[in-house]
Amino acid sequence: MDLYSLAFNNIRRRKLRSILTTLGIIIGVATIVMLLGVTTGVTSAIKDETNKYMYDVVVTPASSTGSYLMDGQTASDIRNRSELYDFREVTVFSEDIKGDRLFFEGTNNWKDVKLKTGTYGVVIYQSVADKYGYSIGSKIKVKNRELTVTGISKDTQSFYVFIDQSYAKQLAGNKVSAIYASTDGDPKTVSEEIERQINGISVETKSEKVNEVQEMTGQALLFTAIIASVALLVGIISVINTMLISVMERTKELGVLKAIGFTNWEIKGSILFESGLLGFSGGIVGVIFGIIGIIGIANVLKLTEYMYGMMPLWLILGVIVGSTLLSVLAGLYPAMRASKLNVVEALRNE
Amino acid sequence: MNNHVLEFRNVWKTYHMGDDLVNALAGLDLVLDEGSFTAVMGPSGSGKSTFLHVAGILDTPTMGVCRLNGNETVKLSKKEQARLRRNEIGFIFQRFNLMSQLTSLENVMLPMIDNDFQKAKEILDKIGLQGKYNKRPTQLSGGEQQRVAIARALINNPSIILADEPTGELDTRNANSIMQILRDLNMNEGVTIVVVTHNPVAADFADEIIHMSDGKIVNMASK
Repeated sequence: MDLYSLAFNNIRRRKLRSILTTLGIIIGVATIVMLLGVTTGVTSAIKDETNKYMYDVVVTPASSTGSYLMDGQTASDIRNRSELYDFREVTVFSEDIKGDRLFFEGTNNWKDVKLKTGTYGVVIYQSVADKYGYSIGSKIKVKNRELTVTGISKDTQSFYVFIDQSYAKQLAGNKVSAIYASTDGDPKTVSEEIERQINGISVETKSEKVNEVQEMTGQALLFTAIIASVALLVGIISVINTMLISVMERTKELGVLKAIGFTNWEIKGSILFESGLLGFSGGIVGVIFGIIGIIGIANVLKLTEYMYGMMPLWLILGVIVGSTLLSVLAGLYPAMRASKLNVVEALRNE
Repeated sequence: MNNHVLEFRNVWKTYHMGDDLVNALAGLDLVLDEGSFTAVMGPSGSGKSTFLHVAGILDTPTMGVCRLNGNETVKLSKKEQARLRRNEIGFIFQRFNLMSQLTSLENVMLPMIDNDFQKAKEILDKIGLQGKYNKRPTQLSGGEQQRVAIARALINNPSIILADEPTGELDTRNANSIMQILRDLNMNEGVTIVVVTHNPVAADFADEIIHMSDGKIVNMASK
């Protein structure tokens, strides 16, 4: 029989109090796992998407030109750069149709357009169909040409018409809005070189875009971490409270332990072990509830494909180790009080 | 020549009580030899319990020299004092002071240095608690609880047993039974025993009876 078994026994003996104490930790840990997990998962999803759809460099007209389109010569100069390959051009222009501005976007990735009905070719947003009364077969007059609507997409948030990129470029007078390209060189060096040699353009690299996204998601992560830490702090305070009450209630018992030869360090160790055990068990149960919460949130937000990314090992191990260590720290003051008890007075205590 | 287990030389223990100074021990001189059985008697406030606490290294004297098996206790570190309490001293308290959440066997094994189940069971058997290994204190009578406390005190083969009113919570039959156990331990195994008691019948089991008053020994009688 050792003091560590005795500590375990004490937790079992005061079941209700132990459960209520660990409940604070469970809530804190579950909150941390859920908030940080979901934020981490969403962050990694955003990064994945950014990486998937972004090329190494993106060339757009410089804001100083006052235009959103590059002329054909500039586009050609860019395409002729030996350090760039795997080009993708996008042309976006707008037209006033029946007094409102309608955007036309060229695309080669038709799979990105979520079709509701019809076929690819000239696809309008549902919002465009609703506003202008268009349906499949309707004619849209743009730049002295007539486009025949072939499909309607599910999107309703803005007023877009998707057409083939080659046709969009042709309609815009051989102009493009952005050129995406890959490079084997250092994107930053390459972009600076191109910007210096070709006038009227701005070149952004993927890493700059990714950094922007990371900065935004990092702030969100920090914010959620702070909120979740407050929840855990409340749990830890309840450990301090419980252990202090426990030491006061067990004054005589601790006196007897000292009388029969346990050292102050052994007494301290037993109190710290007991509080650490509360933190560890609260951490384990909290992680389980956190994971259940993540599964629920991922299903509600339809992010199930990123669900495993929401439960990174570092987070799960981190919160279990963290809650245990914090609980051990919470036990320090009660442990010091226990070890400093006067044996004779403790034995007189009833 | 007998070995001195406990030695008090001009030991003083002074307390502040308000503005007054109270001498719980007032220059106590006492030597207890190995294998002795001593009862300490005296009215409340005579210094009996303070003597036992200082002897058991639970309290420190204000002045004087206390030795346990030749070790000057005040010169030891806290850790060494704890080790000495664990290895050399067995305590028996008036209110048993068993851990309510532990069984008899676990209570006996609590201070044990080597987790020897067999030894713990043998000691419980020897003092008449066969088959009660797994009973918790609340499932035992007062006499049985005090027997468990005695077994706990004996588990590390101490050089001295210090008992503070060991019969104070027991009826006459159980009180005599407990004192007989202590008497047998002293007679058969040579364990040095000091019993602080108000009870003259209990004191009568000892070989030597010391009467204390105002922190001093006022009478010492051997059988």
